[in-house]
Amino acid sequence: MEGMFYSTQNVWTWWIAIYLFLGGLGGALVVISCLTHMYIKPHKQLVIWANLSSFVMLSVGSLMLFLHLLDHLAIIHVLNPMVLVNKPDAWISWGTQFIVWMMVWSIVYSLPYMLETKFWTKMPVVGTILGLFAWVGNLPQSIHNIIGWLAIINGIGTVLYTGLLLQSFPAVALWHNPGVPLLFIVSAFSTAMAFLLLVLYLAIRQDEDHELRVFYERTDVILIGIELLIIFVFFHFTTYGLESARHTAAILWDDMGWIVGFIGFGLIVPFLIEFRGVTKGWNSAAPVVLAAVLVLSGGYLLRHYFTYAGSYERPYPAVNSIRQHSQAGPVTKVVAVMPSTER
Amino acid sequence: MAKTPHYAMVIDLNTCVGACMAACAMENQTPVWENKWRTYVHDMEIGGDNDELIRRRFFPRLCNHCDNPPCMSVCPTGATHKLDNGIVMVDDELCMGCRACAMACPYDARYDVTYDDVDQGKEFYGELHHRSRPSVDKCSFCAHRVMRGLKPACVETCVGSSRLFGDLNDPKDEVSKLVKSGVAKPLMAHLGTRPNVYYISDIERTT
Repeated sequence: MEGMFYSTQNVWTWWIAIYLFLGGLGGALVVISCLTHMYIKPHKQLVIWANLSSFVMLSVGSLMLFLHLLDHLAIIHVLNPMVLVNKPDAWISWGTQFIVWMMVWSIVYSLPYMLETKFWTKMPVVGTILGLFAWVGNLPQSIHNIIGWLAIINGIGTVLYTGLLLQSFPAVALWHNPGVPLLFIVSAFSTAMAFLLLVLYLAIRQDEDHELRVFYERTDVILIGIELLIIFVFFHFTTYGLESARHTAAILWDDMGWIVGFIGFGLIVPFLIEFRGVTKGWNSAAPVVLAAVLVLSGGYLLRHYFTYAGSYERPYPAVNSIRQHSQAGPVTKVVAVMPSTER
Repeated sequence: MAKTPHYAMVIDLNTCVGACMAACAMENQTPVWENKWRTYVHDMEIGGDNDELIRRRFFPRLCNHCDNPPCMSVCPTGATHKLDNGIVMVDDELCMGCRACAMACPYDARYDVTYDDVDQGKEFYGELHHRSRPSVDKCSFCAHRVMRGLKPACVETCVGSSRLFGDLNDPKDEVSKLVKSGVAKPLMAHLGTRPNVYYISDIERTT
């Protein structure tokens, strides 16, 4: 065929970017908080903050996806756990189940600690509901740990799912490669570390958490560093890769929101702030709080630009495009589209 | 015992004049008022620089009924499924409209049918209207006609005899011969989708 056309899509836009961001962040929050509590430092308040925040994030993210559906009633087909038997090849099936069960197990894991907290037990309605689950607080520690691991496994699944979802679309070079899940996993854990630093510095505020905060800062510096390396690999892949990848490069590397917003303020600036923090330390919490906010903003921008910049290659112009790029070479132009010019 | 048919379509771009859209739309009740079609014909000019001959080409687009359909593997409900005869179908009852199939399709063959489209379809198509639910719709090779031994509506009404429909498992079938000869080629086969819609280019015709 004489000419190829390159276009991005307007089917999954910022709604889905928010879903992917909150999904990754919420999943990683549960994983980190439960592992911290079980193996690094018992911290009931951290578990409650992380797991309830995750619950809210996943609820909002899932609501974004739900509102985006064409037939809302048909969602029942993916909420049914049998979907994993009927459609094991679809990542949305796995993702839905991971999200649902992570929300369930992470809340069950937090219940004993909420039952010990007057703030929750005295709260109208919530306190009454908690009273119905008082027996959960009497479960043996071994059972409680198993519940924690169920939450962790489903949390890891949720994080993985947000990356593998885009990878399963073969027509877009930017998405259909193993780097995407890797990038989204690293980004999810980095944003979760940033969120937990905000919780520790602004909400819990205990001096005894100093070592834990330092541990999170060090881990986040490493994760941001890895993320920068993966972004460099993507720069190389898109700039010197397939034609559709090069069209993605033309979009991303010509956009100040991506370069300055995401790479500059979402990665490099927080990396430098946190690196200075772990090597020389800061006199106040403000720089780390600023870095954490920047990391969270960067986490969203990454997904925003990834959903927008995926470029399709087709032998005809797309009817659903937001950016159109015609390949140089044999001249092929659309003079009209029957029966009218645009869908 | 006769082999199960494996349906495919060949489109000769030399003789296409883009007349199939209306027939398809009426047969399958697509939301034409929203400019949504199961088959869509692009009108393109090729060449034209440096006093070259300008060629005009109508380029029909439709679901390619892939043997390895990415829209089916990403579908979480099983709404997109494949029949034994190779036709890829959408079950409106199962489809929740997440649009993952539209994202996965390399051929831009999917379009939304919304609640509004369903309501408006009742007014547009009257008592014959058969849609009751939203879905992410696409060409079905007119499976309801094929099962009755008929050809798809676009093939039946193609004035230039550009579209041929046949069985790849029948060596005597014209479609099978054209595909086997290499004259008819699929689009973007390198993606591994194994499409079952083949095109004869005018370049092929002149060489």
